Amino acid sequence: MASVQISGIEKHFGGTHVIRGVDIDIDDGEFCVLVGPSGCGKSTLLRMIAGLEEADEGRISIGTRVVNEVPPKDRDIAMVFQNYALYPHMSVRENMSFALSLARQPKREIEQRVARAAEILGLGPYLERFPRQLSGGQRQRVAMGRAIVRNPQVFLFDEPLSNLDAKLRVQMRTEIRELHQRLKTTSVYVTHDQTEAMTMADKIVVMRGGVVEQAGAPLELYDRPVNTFVATFIGSPAMNLLPGVIGALRGGQVVLEGGASLPLPAGSRAEEGQKVLYGMRPEHCSVGSTGLPVEVAVVEPTGADTQLYCRFHGQEVTATVRDRSDCRPGDRIVLAPDPARAHLFDAATGQRLAA
Amino acid sequence: MAVDTVIQSPGVAQAAPARRHRPANRRRLWPFLLPSAIVSFCILLFPLGYAVYLSFFNYYLDSGASTFVGFGNYADLLGDARFWTSLVRTFAIVVSAVGLEFCAGLAVAWGLYRLTVGVRTLNLLMFLPHIITPVVAALFLKWIFAGRWGLLDSILAGLGIFPPDWLGDPMWARVTVVLADAWQFTPFMILVLYAGLNTVDQSQIEAAQIDGANGRQILFRIMLPSIRPLVAFVLTMRMMDAFRYFDTIYVLTSGGPGSATETLTMQTYALAFRLFQVGKASALGVLTLLAVLLLAAILIFTIGRSKEKSA
Repeated sequence: MASVQISGIEKHFGGTHVIRGVDIDIDDGEFCVLVGPSGCGKSTLLRMIAGLEEADEGRISIGTRVVNEVPPKDRDIAMVFQNYALYPHMSVRENMSFALSLARQPKREIEQRVARAAEILGLGPYLERFPRQLSGGQRQRVAMGRAIVRNPQVFLFDEPLSNLDAKLRVQMRTEIRELHQRLKTTSVYVTHDQTEAMTMADKIVVMRGGVVEQAGAPLELYDRPVNTFVATFIGSPAMNLLPGVIGALRGGQVVLEGGASLPLPAGSRAEEGQKVLYGMRPEHCSVGSTGLPVEVAVVEPTGADTQLYCRFHGQEVTATVRDRSDCRPGDRIVLAPDPARAHLFDAATGQRLAA
Repeated sequence: MAVDTVIQSPGVAQAAPARRHRPANRRRLWPFLLPSAIVSFCILLFPLGYAVYLSFFNYYLDSGASTFVGFGNYADLLGDARFWTSLVRTFAIVVSAVGLEFCAGLAVAWGLYRLTVGVRTLNLLMFLPHIITPVVAALFLKWIFAGRWGLLDSILAGLGIFPPDWLGDPMWARVTVVLADAWQFTPFMILVLYAGLNTVDQSQIEAAQIDGANGRQILFRIMLPSIRPLVAFVLTMRMMDAFRYFDTIYVLTSGGPGSATETLTMQTYALAFRLFQVGKASALGVLTLLAVLLLAAILIFTIGRSKEKSA
């Protein structure tokens, strides 16, 4: 196990600047998730940690060693690929023992380590099978088994659950997390799915356009997003952002476009007349008597809760109601945000306005 | 790492046999196949059948005399030492030429695979020998290998090396014939293997890099096994082609010196068009076909059948 330090990383592909001065510190034993939309540079960054891409500038360290010039095989890492990257002509056993046999480990040692990894992952009955004879979830397990047997300092996961169906994805998510809790190996995990990031990570790094927008614990990002991008990227359904100005006469109020006033979020600091975006998560709105007057457009009951898709002066506002709702499309209701959990952003820069 | 929990695996994927969609009125499709079936019969099956038919007759082209001899032609050939010598010689030339082409082709294809710039131009240039008509290529080669005034002799003489008699010495004549075939068909091997190497999933190669494999191990332990069926295909194709090796030998050595480069096809040609023993030549053709079929089957079953399928 080892920490991973990434500092000042720059990367160009031809004329495209894909990574722009990224700094990330991943602690020993931490499960770090790199998340962001397609093309944000998260996979490129992971491939640079693996040594499959070279950094143009900056430094990557694993433990105390700078690995910029170290080939992938000597970085003491293991990687799980999106399409599993299993060797199709090798059995599960051969796939898992390939790295150890290349390293000329004693046969008995190889057998023991493969057997132990197979036991952890429940792959025992499938060791003599070939990848094409396995289901998607089993292939993913073999890919993880191949990583586990090497007992590396760092695990790298490149969108490993993207090829699985929704149910299996949720199951594998828990299994990977459980595996990490047992092995405690430093892990870097790339995904574009914010739910995966939230549920699995010790630390989330949100990236956009080759830069780190925010890094921190999942709930820190959820509770205190530094800008509107992180605010809308983390959390599902996405946070509502309503444009408005800080009221001059009614201090401590945000006057929204359309006339409604909402109480200033707790801990926010803004000047009178400043143009702002009022952020409220759907799950932090309740149907009340004072607040945002909206018209219900669509009602989606999911069983556990109900999503209300509403309209406020041409803008869509989503609310998640925990109780079963008797609202109907066309109803006029008032949504009351919880000021303690609302957010305020500068309308021009999108940055959080906090005290 | 102390681990006490076993993660349960879901059930094994049950691969349901894929059922082909069968149209109810399949008979209506036959007219569409008929034109190609007629062409195939006329140019492929009929000549083959006629050759097999002729092989049972003692048929001389000059006199036109034809008597049924049953397996007499086959018995004559199998009892003739010249047939066995030609068979062994053909086999040696085929194995040497195809082996050389595969090794050289793989080396160049691997080089091209690792090259980042100029691949297309190099590929095109290397394919040129394959585009040239074999007879024309053989004429080029004859000028290169010609004794004393040939290009190769001039170069070697310039370097102070006494050149061997490329086309006049039995051993060197065989080497020359093999080199000529390799010169012409290695580009085909390069093209097919290069295309094959490019089909291997990049992430498998990257996984192997992380696993600690070097370039040689990636090629021989990951990439070549992945393209095993293609390797079997290209080796079988080239082997079948090399067994029919005729034109270049005809121009270069005409089977000589003596019978040093006389392959089965050269012997068949001599029987049919010099001795006019068409029945016997047909029998030799059929025997050659059987030998090729046997070798192709061996190649496909040893190389083409992947471990995966036999498991």
